[in-house]
Amino acid sequence: MALKYLIVFAQVHHEFRIPELRSIAELHGFTFSLPPSPEDQDPTRPYMVLDLDEEEHALILARRCILIKSVYEFYGQGSTYEELHASNRKNQARWARYVTDTSFRFIVTAYNHKIPQARQSEVVESFSYMGFLGKIDMKNPEILLGCFEEYTDRSGITRSKHEGDGQFRQVYFGRLLEEGSARALVGKFNVKKRVYYGNTSMESEISLLMANQTLACPGKLIYDPFMGTGSTAYPTMHFGAFMFGSDIDGRQMRGKEKVPGVIRAAKQYGTASRMMDICTFDVTRNPWRCGGLFDAIVTDPPYGVRAGAKRLGRKKELSEAQLALYMEYRNKPRSDDQPYFPPTKPYELSSLAVDLVLLARYLLKPNGRLVFFLPTVTEEYEEVDIHLMLCEGMEVIANSLQDFGSWGRRLVTIRKNTDREYPPPSFDQELQAPSTHIPAHKDFREKYFQGFKKEGEDVPVLE
Amino acid sequence: MVRLITHNLLACHVKGCNSNNFPLEFKDVQIELREAEFNPDFLKGFMPKLEWKALVDAARQLGDTSLPLELPEMLDDDFLKNLHHVLLEIHVEEGTMTCPNCKHEYPILNGIPNMLLAEHEIG
Ligand SMILES: C[S@@+](CC[C@H](N)C(=O)[O-])C[C@H]1O[C@@H](n2cnc3c(N)ncnc32)[C@H](O)[C@@H]1O
Ligand SMILES: [Zn+2]
Repeated sequence: MALKYLIVFAQVHHEFRIPELRSIAELHGFTFSLPPSPEDQDPTRPYMVLDLDEEEHALILARRCILIKSVYEFYGQGSTYEELHASNRKNQARWARYVTDTSFRFIVTAYNHKIPQARQSEVVESFSYMGFLGKIDMKNPEILLGCFEEYTDRSGITRSKHEGDGQFRQVYFGRLLEEGSARALVGKFNVKKRVYYGNTSMESEISLLMANQTLACPGKLIYDPFMGTGSTAYPTMHFGAFMFGSDIDGRQMRGKEKVPGVIRAAKQYGTASRMMDICTFDVTRNPWRCGGLFDAIVTDPPYGVRAGAKRLGRKKELSEAQLALYMEYRNKPRSDDQPYFPPTKPYELSSLAVDLVLLARYLLKPNGRLVFFLPTVTEEYEEVDIHLMLCEGMEVIANSLQDFGSWGRRLVTIRKNTDREYPPPSFDQELQAPSTHIPAHKDFREKYFQGFKKEGEDVPVLE
Repeated sequence: MVRLITHNLLACHVKGCNSNNFPLEFKDVQIELREAEFNPDFLKGFMPKLEWKALVDAARQLGDTSLPLELPEMLDDDFLKNLHHVLLEIHVEEGTMTCPNCKHEYPILNGIPNMLLAEHEIG
């Protein structure tokens, strides 16, 4: 029989919550059910009751999901306290074992509201029918009982401090099973405390969420073809996977010291031995001997705002000086920490995205995942954008928006759902006939620098 | 880095260089040995992807003769330990890898191979 657990989410990245739960469940080979009504499945709400087969599964979620603040054994819920107590009484079998001799403590708190002290005590009193005989221990209780009132967002409405107290949408009650311990990793991987990072480094929370979407675990091999300073690698390796990285610009991975920056950072986290290798190459001109190599590809593709997409090729003619350097390079190839690079040309994001999916289909093992960011202009975004870049054998399994207002980025997870082998992509999207739908991420860079101005509109241009 | 598992996966990709472009030949290499976690499942899972002869040859060239020329039928612990060492613990830190066909040289500096092509080498 399914057991119910109350998930208390951290108040961030709500669109990433359910995909993360699903990924961790899949990684550990179990399933869960969301609450039956669509209203209760709403991922923007801070509390959610899940059906799980075993307590162990709830513990696994609490220890690996970045967005879980805590997990409670579920005892009851309601839109009023009468309903809550009725439901709590029904679940007596779950809490009866704590009645005789267990020290306990109550917490009563609210989301989007502050409950006055006096009413908090009232609430605690209202549970007295449970008849707990153990002593109340504020410091080291054996069990912690939590009561959570959920209020709708009333920000922007002027009101006095406790106004609307008691007019909650739903109230939940349960026993603390486990504090979410994976959230601490957000601090551990804090970019500012990392020995090597750059202006393309990604905040740790996002890179941890990406790592969970890859299903990283020991024995897997995961690849970032736009490695940069390696943000996607550290959490992935922390979860036990081997990581392979490549970038067109070796200096991004190296930094200035002899030991490459990404290796120094991996050492800081104790995972240098899981950095399989790092290589300098243009992913559209890659040296992979065969496909079917990786369990996942995880990447933040260059979308031109901070780190423009480039590919080998010529945009315009070289100057004399560049030509001289080029001839020198041609006669004597050298290492990638030198100031000269072969000429590159811009690489439009929508073709890059299509290429990336094709590349992933070639390089992934069956059931492997591609996890990547796709920037997009929010208002123009349509579901079709992502489906346009799909190809046979690749399906979207999660798509979460991180909203920055006029633009956003989507964390897209795509699964290779076939064991057919595919050839490497030809990387000539730009040459193929353009489709009639123009995705919102097309020419993202240009739109960004125009401040996402619409035609006829007068918006100050970003510097 | 470069580990031999990586070496076994990289082929010359100069435009038009499509045959005899693997394995790349090591030259003037400096090697370091570094311990890695032993994971037999990873090794077994990866074996179908390996070009066995290329791996054995590369290992021998770098002075490790622990692997048999023919892939054994029985994957016992000794064999897996040797494979683990060859694939994951030998790191080529400096040197070059040369294409047996077109002779393009891919330099390795501080453990990072530069597989970037010059303009005349791309399509
Ligand atoms: C958004 S950044 C990735 C940042 C990375 N996640 C980090 O932690 O720093 C994109 C990277 O893609 C690289 N890049 C651009 N075009 C490329 C190409 N054609 N092939 C390989 N790398 C490329 C850039 O050098 C840059 O480091
Ligand atoms: Zn060649």
